[in-house]
Amino acid sequence: MIKVHDLVKSFGNKIVLDKLSFTINHHVIYGLLGPNGSGKTTTINILCNLLEADEGKILIKGNPLSEKTKHLIGFVPQEISVYHELTCKENLLFFSSIYGLQGSEKIKRTNELIQMFNLNEYENVKVTKLSGGWLRRINIAVALVHSPSILILDEPTAGLDVEARYEIWELINTLKDNGVGILLTTHQLEEAERLCSCIGILKKGCIVAEGSLDELRLLVPAIQLALIASEDEQSLRNRAKSLGWEYRRYGDRLMLLMPERYTLKEVVYKFENIQLSSISLQDVGLEQIYLEVTRE
Amino acid sequence: MKRYFNEIIAMTTRLLIEILRMRRGLIFWVVFPTLMLLLFGFIYAGGNSTTKSFDATAPGILIGAALFFSCLGGPVTLIVAERERRTLRRLLVSPLKPISYFFGIVTTYLIIAFGQSVIVYGIAFIFGGRFHGSLLLGLLIIVLSVFSFVGAGFYFGARFTRRTEDVNGPVAAFGVPLLVLGGTFFPVSILPPFLLKLAYIDPIFHMNQALKGVSALGKGAGDIFIHLIALGIFTVLSLFLGAQSYKSMLHQEKKGSI
Repeated sequence: MIKVHDLVKSFGNKIVLDKLSFTINHHVIYGLLGPNGSGKTTTINILCNLLEADEGKILIKGNPLSEKTKHLIGFVPQEISVYHELTCKENLLFFSSIYGLQGSEKIKRTNELIQMFNLNEYENVKVTKLSGGWLRRINIAVALVHSPSILILDEPTAGLDVEARYEIWELINTLKDNGVGILLTTHQLEEAERLCSCIGILKKGCIVAEGSLDELRLLVPAIQLALIASEDEQSLRNRAKSLGWEYRRYGDRLMLLMPERYTLKEVVYKFENIQLSSISLQDVGLEQIYLEVTRE
Repeated sequence: MKRYFNEIIAMTTRLLIEILRMRRGLIFWVVFPTLMLLLFGFIYAGGNSTTKSFDATAPGILIGAALFFSCLGGPVTLIVAERERRTLRRLLVSPLKPISYFFGIVTTYLIIAFGQSVIVYGIAFIFGGRFHGSLLLGLLIIVLSVFSFVGAGFYFGARFTRRTEDVNGPVAAFGVPLLVLGGTFFPVSILPPFLLKLAYIDPIFHMNQALKGVSALGKGAGDIFIHLIALGIFTVLSLFLGAQSYKSMLHQEKKGSI
């Protein structure tokens, strides 16, 4: 549905996007992850037609990205960018008008979104009176007034409590089930893990890893991970080397990449005679994949 | 064409709702010119009949104490708020045309200007003041003044202000001296010759002189021709500057952060 091909963008001498390519289809939530400065915002700006790419092409439903294809994209910024003095309904009506909806069509779409986002109770409440989760709802709802095929969500649950976050996740999944293709950028890896059917990890302007979570797991040379802390880290490293295990240093702990599954007792036994201050085992998750592919 | 019309209506409706809900600003836009009109009306009457003094003060108060703050300060505040709340960015993503955005703002402030004119002249009427000249010509001067102020508002809003706290600075620093020089509160006849010469490059001077001429003295278009021409030039200039600054601001907003 949206195909990004070999996108290049530079600001002065700095190359921000370097032949970036990815595809998002209907019923797909594509997670675009990457450290700050990796090119996520520039990608969004280009997709929203706010910036022009130096090279490459973007096709939406087979048509090149242009002013004419703007209506196929909905954009939900990270900030709550709706009019706070207006009610939820007034915001929806205003954005509907801006997107060319008129008369009964406008009213119908506004009511549909109020139903879909469970905003009935708050439809006539000023946005300024809403709490975090409801603000996020209206922030997403106004991006859907024109029924876009592609929805770009920039950090949709930033700053929300757990309960509100789950509600927004449920909404995003509903949108996906309704056929909307979703591009999600987030720093919350758990969010990407829970929502995205395909994940692209961006580093220095290009995708360094892409696929489903199971596919990405193959990029980490481990079946299981052990997170270990010890005063005597050198001995830990030496023992890991002698076992033929790779290791990474993350924060104050050493992460050991284990080629097969062990019990906690077995791992402790392998590090006998070394004073351990903490040890835990875990499966390979998106966090490890992310750290693995973005590390220098 | 219909699309532009619908967008302008949507913008105007939204802005009017916002302005009506933010009562503080609205009250200021009514109370300030009312008090200034009463004050100067009675000062210039000097204890005698208020008829002539309200005739003479109403136009200056309308331009300087009403339209100046609403139609110049309003757009500055609006642009800053759109940037701060990031709604401008959202509008940029939408198909809304910049021209519809601008005319939506102009239409809103024309409505407000009309309301302020009714209030100022309504109060002046109570105290014996009258509109002596052509209403149509008076309306033309008010419309040109609104365009001129909104254009300047876009210029200041886009160029000099990034945060809400920045709004009062440029309005006070550039605007208030122009109000005084333009004869808003005092007749320009008391200005020393060098200041009077300087006043000719002050758009507010021409707005005041044109509206006073028509409203208080019943002059026709031919009598205030020079002020109308000057006002026309200032209007075009401020719209041009406003459009340029707005374009450069949109460019910055589009770029966003890398």
